Amino acid sequence: MFFHIVLERNMQLHPRYFGRNLRDNLVSKLMKDVEGTCSGRHGFVVAVTGIENIGKGIIRDGTGFVTFPVKYQCVVFRPFKGEILEAVVTMVNKMGFFAEAGPVQIFVSNHLIPDDMEFQTGDMPNYTTSDGSVKIQKDSEVRLKIIGTRVDATEIFCIGTIKDDFLGVINDPATV
Amino acid sequence: MSVVTDSPAHSSGSDDFISYLNDALDASSPDSSADEEAETQDEFEDVSRNKRRKLESTEETEGSTSEGIMEHKLVVAESSVKVDVCTHPGSFGEMCIRCGQKLDGESGVTFGYIHKGLRLHDEEISRLRNTDMKKYLFSKKLYLVLDLDHTLLNTTILGHLSSEELHLLNETDSLEDVSKGSLFKLEHMHMMTKLRPFVRTFLKEASEMFEMYIYTMGDRPYALEMAKLLDPQGEYFNSKVISRDDGTQRHQKGLDIVLGQESAVLILDDTEHAWMKHKNNLILMERYHFFASSCRQFGFNCKSLAETKSDENETDGALAKILEMLKEVHCTFFDKLQGDLVDRDVRQVLSSVRGKILSGCVIIFSRINHGALPTLKRIAEQMGATCLMELDPTVTHVVATDAGTEKSRWAVKEKKFLVHPRWIEAANYFWQKQPEENFVVKKTTNPL
Repeated sequence: MFFHIVLERNMQLHPRYFGRNLRDNLVSKLMKDVEGTCSGRHGFVVAVTGIENIGKGIIRDGTGFVTFPVKYQCVVFRPFKGEILEAVVTMVNKMGFFAEAGPVQIFVSNHLIPDDMEFQTGDMPNYTTSDGSVKIQKDSEVRLKIIGTRVDATEIFCIGTIKDDFLGVINDPATV
Repeated sequence: MSVVTDSPAHSSGSDDFISYLNDALDASSPDSSADEEAETQDEFEDVSRNKRRKLESTEETEGSTSEGIMEHKLVVAESSVKVDVCTHPGSFGEMCIRCGQKLDGESGVTFGYIHKGLRLHDEEISRLRNTDMKKYLFSKKLYLVLDLDHTLLNTTILGHLSSEELHLLNETDSLEDVSKGSLFKLEHMHMMTKLRPFVRTFLKEASEMFEMYIYTMGDRPYALEMAKLLDPQGEYFNSKVISRDDGTQRHQKGLDIVLGQESAVLILDDTEHAWMKHKNNLILMERYHFFASSCRQFGFNCKSLAETKSDENETDGALAKILEMLKEVHCTFFDKLQGDLVDRDVRQVLSSVRGKILSGCVIIFSRINHGALPTLKRIAEQMGATCLMELDPTVTHVVATDAGTEKSRWAVKEKKFLVHPRWIEAANYFWQKQPEENFVVKKTTNPL
């Protein structure tokens, strides 16, 4: 799920950036540091949308760096257990399939794929129903339910299922 | 049981479904807990957790009395509790792949080559191996694990090219269309790779009989680059590239991370001692030394293939011969063995095919290096030869390094074959008895 929240961060700036463009340098450094990172509490920071407040800078003793407390608004993405998500399949193998929903890697094991879907190997491995009507292969879009999440420093791992009602393939890439 | 009388279901009746549900859900909320109701509450918590399953079962029993529903609910609650116990078949990012629970155990094997963070536990691995086995045997395929260096290709670091090999820098094939070339320069890794002659045909024909894996002692980026050169379309080795980062033991290769039954796996490798636990599955390959650095690594002082501007014979080289042998093993396994497909063992087929190579040969050794003798004897016996210690009229071959010894002269006198030990090694590599005329022993000492 996406959230638009206000986060705070202490940014350290080297004196070479002081001058007319101090604020711009600070903002671009913030964006470079924070966009694409992940935390357990907030999830994945997708983009910084605006700066709310930059506090007064405090000069560090010993070095010439100055620390600014910056409050900024950003869009974060955090998957929750029980959440329903759409994801794109990236890899299919006999153990299940791996899908991606933005920065999140989701694994759906074959235990959590409906029993009527069988794994077919080949140069385009896929899961197909016995009558061939539904197929899950690389680049298919699926709707799945998250049953467990784990957040790392840079990545979020999730376990998903498509064994419940209304879950499964949304879009077959072959027909699109 | 007090549960029956205290339950709201009993009071509300079967037709007032919505209030029944509401009561059940209210009972599971924190403010309604009491010691007497603790037992009831646990059941109601189970009930609300498996609301959907219970919904289905209560719908079925809607016509019956409320007591009937109560009993049914007890049964459902118990059975649903049993179903919930997950066997944790594996973990992804340290969460069980079936129930999402956090697992911090170290049991199971990491399958990092399939996807980062994937671990499978032992029962799941055996279950997968069994289901796979049936599928592959039906489509008449076995498993083949291929080594890279010196087996399918030869790689050297650009800085290690000898002066006579520098001309190769201008003869490399384009990386755009990999399927046509065999000599590639990989700038970003500072390496140059030469694919062994016949390798593309080999892979194409072997893929029809075998499910193939790459298993190399190189690191993962190297393994993936080589897989891209050998298999640009990704049809042979898709997520089946195992590198040393994926192995469970250092300096040893193992079949524990290969998802195939050991009785159906064949291994093609040039290094015997990397497969200590699986020697019976191993087909030893003659090393491919294209670059001078590779020759020097193994202590050969001769000129490399690159320096002499030559290469292994395409249709008559090691890969072609091994392909013939693989076809024979495959054919024997599927067509000639008796019994159930799952009970057949490819290791037995391998040893029986090996045992026919030198069958009928009776060998005696003369002046062989003491260190090499036991190995040579073992190889010869594996190939079906009989090794004797004393001269005997039944002897057919004398294996010696010197034509001047007593046994060698006896061989010449009795018109027996006198061959160099390399005759035995060649038979081992090519899986065929080699013509003895190619392995004549020279006289090194003056005849007495």
